[in-house]
Amino acid sequence: MAQQTVRQTIKQVKPILSLDKEEARKRVVSLYKAWFRQLPYIVKQYDMPKSVEQLRDRLREEFNKHQDIKDVRIVDMLVIKGQMELMETVNMWKQKGHMMAYFKDTWEPKPKDFLSKFLSGKD
Amino acid sequence: MASILRQITKTLRTSSNRNVVACNFARFQSTETSSAQAPVETRPTVRKSDPMQRTQLKDFGKYVADCLPKFIQKVQLTAGNELELLIAPEGVLPVLQFLKDHHNCQFENLADIAGMDVPSRPNRFEVIYNILSLRFNSRIRVKTYTDELTPIESCNNIYKAANWYEREIWDMYGVFFANHPDLRRILTDYGFEGHPFRKDFPLSGYVEVRYDDEKKRVVVEPLELAQEFRKFELAAPWEQFPKFRPALASVEEVKTDKKE
Repeated sequence: MAQQTVRQTIKQVKPILSLDKEEARKRVVSLYKAWFRQLPYIVKQYDMPKSVEQLRDRLREEFNKHQDIKDVRIVDMLVIKGQMELMETVNMWKQKGHMMAYFKDTWEPKPKDFLSKFLSGKD
Repeated sequence: MASILRQITKTLRTSSNRNVVACNFARFQSTETSSAQAPVETRPTVRKSDPMQRTQLKDFGKYVADCLPKFIQKVQLTAGNELELLIAPEGVLPVLQFLKDHHNCQFENLADIAGMDVPSRPNRFEVIYNILSLRFNSRIRVKTYTDELTPIESCNNIYKAANWYEREIWDMYGVFFANHPDLRRILTDYGFEGHPFRKDFPLSGYVEVRYDDEKKRVVVEPLELAQEFRKFELAAPWEQFPKFRPALASVEEVKTDKKE
């Protein structure tokens, strides 16, 4: 009885690409592989002052950022965006600045303790 | 009309001069136009209302709603003479195909696709197709709705013009179009995150871009603009046009008999 009511309250939604979690997982893995294989070429083509290992770490970090997402449709949407980004990268539509933006090497960390907050003029 | 003709022929038969005939005819014409005129205008506006056009649009709206009762949820006239069809998102392709190919519609031209974001609704995005019939010199608007994750069918196979318009909607609102041949960003920069026309996207954006002289390249940095919460009161405190106070309802629903 309880199960029935639960089943009734679940909304029927239109899938984006995948019908179940397994299919979505396969898409994520294939996207990861595609990026992974492209990394050596990316380093060369964009003349990035980074090693392939550093790019691999960054790639892994980017995928791990969304590891808690369980909704199949959100996973699909992220995969689609990742594919579009891969296409932009491979076709050299991006420039070096766009690729280096992933590393955030000019971001200054926010002041946390009192003295650095005081010196930066923020409270 | 017959009586007019009889009058004219009578005057001709009596072989009076031409002036009389012309005069008669002019008089009949003038009486005809005065009787066909609309009731006295009480709200003069720049935008003239045409009762004939309104009835035609209403009839057309009813006709389309009768033809496609499954998809059309509501038919309305806005701003006096703009017909809008509010449809279910599943019906985008059939409705647009009908409007394009039906002999009495022939809306062959997709003028624009617009998006709209109302975060308080369960389906927060509206996608609005503005289409034009050159054959009948008429425009119509087809509105549908979706949320962040529900894909809408791409109408690229019906209107080739939809390609870039749908890319724009995707880029600005993040509405996904299924079966689009080339869905990618069109207005934002590569690596840009987020969809700028969403209402929850801040006006200043999340990042700023500048040229770094040390790195010799463009860098992207987070942007933080501290600002107190402000509530804008957009309604004027006084009445600009007290004479026109009860505003005319801009949306007028066209009644369709639905068999439910």
